[in-house]
Amino acid sequence: MNWAETIVESLKKWNTSLIAYVPDISIHQVTSLIDNDPYFHLVSATREEEAIGIAAGAYAVGRNAAVFMQSSGFGNSINAIASMCIPYRMPIPMFINLRGGPGEFNIAQVPMGRSTRPILDLLGLVHFTLDDDYKMDKIVDGAMKLCYANRQPVAICLTQLLHGGKLA
Amino acid sequence: MLRFEATQMILRHAGDRPIVANLGPTTDELWHAGHRDRNFYTYGNMGLCSSLALGMALSTPEKVVSLDGDGSLLMNLGAIASIGREQPKNLVVIVWDNQQWGQTGHQPSHTACGTDLEQVARSCSISHTATVRDLETLEQVFCQALEEDGPWFIVAKIEEAGYMPVSPIEPEMTLYRFRNSFLKK
Repeated sequence: MNWAETIVESLKKWNTSLIAYVPDISIHQVTSLIDNDPYFHLVSATREEEAIGIAAGAYAVGRNAAVFMQSSGFGNSINAIASMCIPYRMPIPMFINLRGGPGEFNIAQVPMGRSTRPILDLLGLVHFTLDDDYKMDKIVDGAMKLCYANRQPVAICLTQLLHGGKLA
Repeated sequence: MLRFEATQMILRHAGDRPIVANLGPTTDELWHAGHRDRNFYTYGNMGLCSSLALGMALSTPEKVVSLDGDGSLLMNLGAIASIGREQPKNLVVIVWDNQQWGQTGHQPSHTACGTDLEQVARSCSISHTATVRDLETLEQVFCQALEEDGPWFIVAKIEEAGYMPVSPIEPEMTLYRFRNSFLKK
């Protein structure tokens, strides 16, 4: 199983069937699997804070939902997470393509990419970073379990070392 | 038309259907008009009311009502495009349009200066739309929206008329009550 299939399997194990996202080429491999699988409803948002709102709405009526976005988009979504997911205790797994690491070619992606995890720490949110697929199934599965047990968002940061990234 | 009397009318017809309320006076007035488990009060998450309602409508067969506001929706116009793209038949968006940011000093919003939210919705492929200026017309359109497939997008022009006491909303309890009412079914 490759990294993308590992994520899809874990989403299914945790009955997480609504996926809200803003497209990103580096994690297209996983969102295209989701798009082609009738188990899921993949919803395109125009902006990442909207994706958080859509996922939160699904959870509020009893359906588990996750979001996929890039670290720049995490920047767009911070107040939605801080003012909704955290005070309402909404467990939204967030799969974030973490830019700004080894291999980054775009100067504009570095500041938000580098500050994503410190901001998650300031918000008190748990995060895991995947640089390769070693123990990835256990980490993703454990992150999902923790997310639903703690009823707070959990971030799973996927780096270029894992998925190959976008070529300059 | 006053938002509070319009909210009371919405509650009279909504039955047990879920209602999501925009932050501030819309949430407070929904609470004062009639607290129920199926009221989802937002609190601080400006702009997300109709996005929440979209996520709900895609995840329950019940008809979902969003009570949004002009200022809030202007913060997240993309929500209208996403509703138009998904075409949820069970979503009714009502925009309380007082043409101002009432809570921040009554500054005129873009709807006071040329923005027509109904036309925005129509150009986002939402075909069931209306702009209403009195309670009787709103009641008639809302009852039609409850019976007929949507998505519906109704702009309700309201007068700004002071605020009610802040409702005793606890976000965590709001989610617990609301979500449980779906899990029990």
